[in-house]
Amino acid sequence: MKSYALFLGCTIPARQLNYEISARKALKALGIDLVDLDGMSCCAPPPIESVAVDASLAVSAYNICLAEEAGLDLLTICSGCFQSLARTNELLKRNSQLRKRVNQILSKIGKEFKGSIEVKHYLKVLHDEVGVEEVRRNVTKQLKNIKAAPFYGCHLLRPSELLKFDDPEKPRILDDLIEALGAKSIDYLDKLKCCGGLLRGYDDDLALELARDKVMKASKAGADCIVTVCPFCFINLDLGQIQIARKYNENYSLPIVHYPELLCLAMGVEAKELSPRSHRVKIDKLLEKMV
Amino acid sequence: MKVGVFISDCGGLVSKVLDIGDIEKYIRGIDGVKLVEVRDSFSSGEGLERIVRAFKERRIDRAVVTECSPKIAEIRILNRLKEEGVNPYLVEIVDLLGSCILPHRSWPDKAVEKAKVTLLAAVERAKLLEPIESRRFPIEKSALIIGGGLAGINAAIELIDTGFEVTLVEREPFIGGLAARMVRFFPTDDCALCVQAPIYELKGVTKTSRKGLYRSGVSELPGLNIYTNSRVVSVEGEPGNFTVTIEKKPRYVDETKCIGCGECTKVCPVEVPDLFNAKLKSRKAIYINAPNLYPPVYAIDETICKFKECAKCVEVCPTKAIDLDQKAETIKLRVGAIIVATGFEEFNPEVIKEYHYGEYPDVITQSELARMLDPFGPTGGIPIRPSTGEKAKKIVMIQCVGSRDRRYNRYCSGICCMIALKHADMIKKLDPESEVQICYIDIRTTGRMHEDYYERAREQGVIFVKGRPTEIVLNPDSGKPVVIVEDGLTGEILNLEADLVVLSTAFVPSSGSKELAEILGIEVAEDGFFKEYNSKLRPTETKIRGIYICGGATYPKDAPTTALHASSAALKAGKFLRSGEITKDLKVAVVNEELCGDCEFCPVVCPYGAITTVEKEGHVVARVSELRCEGCGICVGTCPKNAIELKHYTDDQILAQIRALATKLDPKEPVVLAICCAECGHCAIESSGIFLIEYPPNVRVMKVPCAGVLKVHHFLEAFNAGVDAIMVVGCKPEGCHYEYGSIKAAQKVAFTKTLLKALGIEPERIEMFQMVHIEGDRFAEAAKLMVERASSLGSIKEMIKI
Amino acid sequence: MIRVSADFAKEVKKRLGGETITNCYQCGTCTSSCPVARVTNRFNPRKLIVQSLRGKRDDVLTGEMIWLCCSCFNCQERCPQRVEIADLIYALRNIAISEGNVPNIYSEFVSALYSEGKLVKVAGFTEKQRENFGLPPLKKPDVEAIRAILAETSFGEVLKVLEGKE
Ligand code: SF4
Ligand code: SF4
Ligand code: SF4
Ligand code: SF4
Repeated sequence: MKSYALFLGCTIPARQLNYEISARKALKALGIDLVDLDGMSCCAPPPIESVAVDASLAVSAYNICLAEEAGLDLLTICSGCFQSLARTNELLKRNSQLRKRVNQILSKIGKEFKGSIEVKHYLKVLHDEVGVEEVRRNVTKQLKNIKAAPFYGCHLLRPSELLKFDDPEKPRILDDLIEALGAKSIDYLDKLKCCGGLLRGYDDDLALELARDKVMKASKAGADCIVTVCPFCFINLDLGQIQIARKYNENYSLPIVHYPELLCLAMGVEAKELSPRSHRVKIDKLLEKMV
Repeated sequence: MKVGVFISDCGGLVSKVLDIGDIEKYIRGIDGVKLVEVRDSFSSGEGLERIVRAFKERRIDRAVVTECSPKIAEIRILNRLKEEGVNPYLVEIVDLLGSCILPHRSWPDKAVEKAKVTLLAAVERAKLLEPIESRRFPIEKSALIIGGGLAGINAAIELIDTGFEVTLVEREPFIGGLAARMVRFFPTDDCALCVQAPIYELKGVTKTSRKGLYRSGVSELPGLNIYTNSRVVSVEGEPGNFTVTIEKKPRYVDETKCIGCGECTKVCPVEVPDLFNAKLKSRKAIYINAPNLYPPVYAIDETICKFKECAKCVEVCPTKAIDLDQKAETIKLRVGAIIVATGFEEFNPEVIKEYHYGEYPDVITQSELARMLDPFGPTGGIPIRPSTGEKAKKIVMIQCVGSRDRRYNRYCSGICCMIALKHADMIKKLDPESEVQICYIDIRTTGRMHEDYYERAREQGVIFVKGRPTEIVLNPDSGKPVVIVEDGLTGEILNLEADLVVLSTAFVPSSGSKELAEILGIEVAEDGFFKEYNSKLRPTETKIRGIYICGGATYPKDAPTTALHASSAALKAGKFLRSGEITKDLKVAVVNEELCGDCEFCPVVCPYGAITTVEKEGHVVARVSELRCEGCGICVGTCPKNAIELKHYTDDQILAQIRALATKLDPKEPVVLAICCAECGHCAIESSGIFLIEYPPNVRVMKVPCAGVLKVHHFLEAFNAGVDAIMVVGCKPEGCHYEYGSIKAAQKVAFTKTLLKALGIEPERIEMFQMVHIEGDRFAEAAKLMVERASSLGSIKEMIKI
Repeated sequence: MIRVSADFAKEVKKRLGGETITNCYQCGTCTSSCPVARVTNRFNPRKLIVQSLRGKRDDVLTGEMIWLCCSCFNCQERCPQRVEIADLIYALRNIAISEGNVPNIYSEFVSALYSEGKLVKVAGFTEKQRENFGLPPLKKPDVEAIRAILAETSFGEVLKVLEGKE
């Protein structure tokens, strides 16, 4: 059983218990041991990079240092955290000058970035380490009837040169993992385009418009749900639909589920154990279709 | 040793500043000097004859001559001495005016001293000069041309016209290359196949091949031997005498018997998509790419033929030309020169996944469109949608696909804009109602009559959208590709739905270019194309004499430029082959096999690939090709065992000059030794004189062929002999005449610094300077800096012998 | 009169993330890649870059454009000149913020990170829920350490700017 230091981040533990619960359950069931380290902070994502890039690098490097000290690779659930941490990790490994600069900052609190660990997103761990086959073997309830629209979001894939998660133009990981559950992973227009989640708070209307585009295209392609892996995509598409209904008078009612929720359901976990009330768009229809 | 010193006054310019009498007195006192003469000039007329006579009458056996245009003087003196049977390498030429007068006008006294020491050093060097032998190397008067495209065919015809035998090797079963697929050529819209063979003379009749390659008679040119289906697998030997091994794959059809009737094709049961025709039609296992290609005979594709299992074609061939037992042949031939004309090929745009080439059938490349536009091609000249076979009425082209793109090829491929315009023009002429839209970043139409195409396209209503599309998607409803692009001039994002999307891909070096370069011992540049010896002035030469490059092998080119290039390469090759021999003065590196053994450093550093290794008594020893060696001496500077020496710049000769230059006539004045390469380094020093930029006369100059010849012990010896500071002056690394010489020298200077430090001597006493030939001002500045440094540091107290 | 100058581009080039600005040859790939530009003409990354390259410092730093990027990195992935566009936009935002041009939401992020070491506060209600679902209690970030780090970076300056604003 491989152990990882879990990086939970800010949003998931505070707002998306459905994601945390399902991820913890699923990973555990598939033999991945998660260690909650003390002191982990914020990954310093785009909003912090926007304020001060150097601060963002230093804070995210600080988190990596904690994992280095524990001698564990870092595993993230949130794609945003993955991007910030994996990017920093890779940048500092490659660029000695930048590393020097960051280490100078970290030295003030007695830390040093060494570059000794990897930062991984759990999807990649499921796909490459656990293996699609193993996932399939653990499925007790084939999701045969489900047409799922995979949504990778942005921060898992790009910038691919640093993240090296999957082919940024033709990713397969999420599609493979969805199909391992017996569901059909469907193609839809602009599948790789952003949902606009990060515009929330600055320009909600614009964020909504992007979300609407996404939901519309997935619906048109006949999706029963959109499968997400990022809490920001989730909010924008889930809560977003309630707002879309209000603003545009369009009712898609397209369930948004995080991949581990689907995985847990396929492994036979009861829906009510997974905090179904975290969803604003009701998932009942989806659940019905599963039986 | 009897040294004669001949001081030219350069029409009074020298005596105006320097006290020649004083100098003469000093020279006479030097050991070994038997004769001193002063005249107006020694590079011509009576002056020159006096030198000749002194040698012939055996009054002297070495000479030092000062002249003020040393380059020209050197040539004249050398030639005259050669005529008279005196070995010219026994003469050392010094430029008093340039080195001791012009840059030091403010210090006439010190200039005299510098002149004395400079001459002393010249005499000391002259004493050690040895005659250099001259040798003749025979040249095979024939050439090999690799690549049977536009460039290769042109070069072949030119060379044959000039009177040499040519062997042309083409790896495909048919000659014609990429150009043969491109339907028409700009700027005059000729049929691509017709332009393949240019005008040439045959038995006094001028032939223009307007009727296709196969009827041009190119195959009938006396002295041209074409091997198709063949590859060069090895090249050995020396310039002028290459032994080439060619592997000819079986064609399974006897070229002399096949009459091109095509009966065989009719019965052949094996069918595959025809790549030559963009898979728009299929072809059989026995096939010909196009009826008007050369050779006009069929070939069997051995990867798909069923051979004995079938053999249907053998039976039907009326001339019994098909031989399924044909074996590969190995052909060996000797040639004097080689021309590489391997061209370029289309970049495979599949890697740009967002364009979905290879996935969406209606996304094609320009060469594929060209096949559609060929009236004899698979669609009879009509652009179609491969997905449905319908006529394509709306066509969107995308420029710079894989060109000008840091992810793939940074360069502009140069011809794709014109290809797109040419095709747009053809489409519009064919059907003015069809729509053509071109997405571009910049339109590049340099070249005569090229802008006309751009004008015409606008007149015909071709729409130009300034923007590079981000992606092509499929409209799920219509199934047609949609190009998503920002129109940069209006700022709008457009969704251009099309019947056909055509990618103007980059052009990249032909596959196998790197391997071929290795076989030939020449280089490819960073972009993968063959590297020219000098991209400005010698664009068709390589670093190896006798090997030339032309056409698209060096960079994508259009037809007119390719033709020019091919002629240039043919001319260079012809010049080389013409005399049937090369005469060369052997100022080359020589290996001392006693000392040499098993390290193999020098073969790697030689920029001309002149050094190979051979087994000798259980050891690997270096062997220098006298013909390839250009005498830079980088190998000498690299050899850890001092086992290789450069003739005319031996260790003894270099050290003698260094020690003499260290002489302090005035003990209070510091001495700075400037050792420069004969290329940019020396030119920079000269140019400070020419532009009357002054530098302190404490700087004493000596020249070596390339700074790469220098060794650490030269520097230590100089300090030992009393030099206070050393400046090594070489080319800029990127412009080094011998590629790595300047870099190697810089490494040695750096190493010397660490040694000095260890010896307790200030490392800043030695510096490397790299400059361009015109940077006289930079040299003067550097010289001042080093003299100041030497003054403030004072003399070296004690030099520990190493 | 309109003044055109390369000064601002030089300034941006020196910032972390801004290094690649001068690679841009205005092909517009970024704009057609951009999900935001597809739905509104208030935003156009190519134009943002050309404004910067022309030296329109004020327009860039006080306009809304720099805030409309949703950091999706689509453009950056596809830019043929390897302009790191999203990073470049961070750099522009950094300059704007350091000069006091701070949208509200960003002031909130700044104070959250500084006071909590995290961007989102966990409500008491949620803590309860976590317990109910059997989730482990949340570990706390080391806020002091985070503050010490921030003080060493330009974040410290931003804090001062924000204080000044209040
Ligand atoms: S010729 Fe035109 S299409 Fe080709 S690389 Fe240059 S600019 Fe691009
Ligand atoms: S002197 Fe120069 S060219 Fe000659 S063998 Fe040595 S390195 Fe090669
Ligand atoms: S894609 Fe790159 S080069 Fe093109 S306009 Fe945008 S930033 Fe400039
Ligand atoms: S990173 Fe910003 S500018 Fe680039 S495509 Fe995404 S939203 Fe547009």
